[in-house]
Amino acid sequence: MKKLMLALALLAGLWSLSANAVEDKYQFKNAEREQTFKELVQELRCPKCQNQNIADSDAVVAKDLRDRVLDMVREGKSKQEVIDFMIDRYGYFVHYQPPVTPATIVLWVMPVVILVLGFGFIVFRQKKAARKQSWSPEDEQKLAELIKQSQRKERTS
Amino acid sequence: MNKKFLGLVPLLIFVLLCVFLYQGLFGNPRELQTGRLGQTMPAFELPDLMDEQKRWTDQDLLGEVYLLNVWGTWCPTCIAELGYLTELREQGVRIIGLYYEQAYDPDFGDQFDINYLRTDVQQMLARAGDPYQFNILDLERTLALDLGVSGAPETFLVDKNGKIILHHTGDINPRVWRSKFAPAIQELQP
Repeated sequence: MKKLMLALALLAGLWSLSANAVEDKYQFKNAEREQTFKELVQELRCPKCQNQNIADSDAVVAKDLRDRVLDMVREGKSKQEVIDFMIDRYGYFVHYQPPVTPATIVLWVMPVVILVLGFGFIVFRQKKAARKQSWSPEDEQKLAELIKQSQRKERTS
Repeated sequence: MNKKFLGLVPLLIFVLLCVFLYQGLFGNPRELQTGRLGQTMPAFELPDLMDEQKRWTDQDLLGEVYLLNVWGTWCPTCIAELGYLTELREQGVRIIGLYYEQAYDPDFGDQFDINYLRTDVQQMLARAGDPYQFNILDLERTLALDLGVSGAPETFLVDKNGKIILHHTGDINPRVWRSKFAPAIQELQP
């Protein structure tokens, strides 16, 4: 029993040690840098695991990238500098916001094109329908005559 | 005529979209994630895997075309490709290993044992084939990060001026060699 207690105490001690280590690791000089770090680990994509950011992933490379981001932010590097550093090594893939290049232009342009086409279609149809409903004085006259005719018929019957 | 054409526009957009999405579905996303092509090897100074007194720098590698193969004994695919890489070495391809260690992590105390690692590597190479001229030990994976390595195995083809020509993710097998590396090496030879 004593041995068990001792083992538990040791374990608890170890656990608190490692918890402290983690807290120390993510200490920042000011809140602005902490914010930059948090944004970066959300925005940078893990190159190994495809659809996780580096904050979420347990891959070795994600940890390495996190550590590097941490170092760079501590050194006072700006957000864009860190992103450029990563793109230089891992390609545009590593950032979740793709830049406008010939390969990605379709992603930026497609929604606009679809919107314009859709509105164009609606307006086009509206005009066509409006044209069909046009009502001329001759039509008015014809209608009046028809009404008169039917009224006469009703009276005679 | 005009109306018929207008009717076809949605179909046309649909087909274009299909082609675009199809490419995304069947393209290899790992092919995209390379930022270092066409640049020179990043500067480094790292120890030899077998002898920490011996240190290698980027300058030592210049002068000859070579493959830089990122590997580790913890990685099954790396072990699987050792045999074929050894064949390539016998055909005269210069292959340098970049040892990508996963066990070593300063965050969790220094429990890493270099002697154990060396024995492990020697046994592995004796069993599966030894394609390497020498191995560089990248304990903190700094060179790997500078090269844009995301895991192992990955292989770089570097020309004699230190320019990175190819970055291949995954194993090297006869098919990959024929379709990717052999033509690139052919182009480098005058």
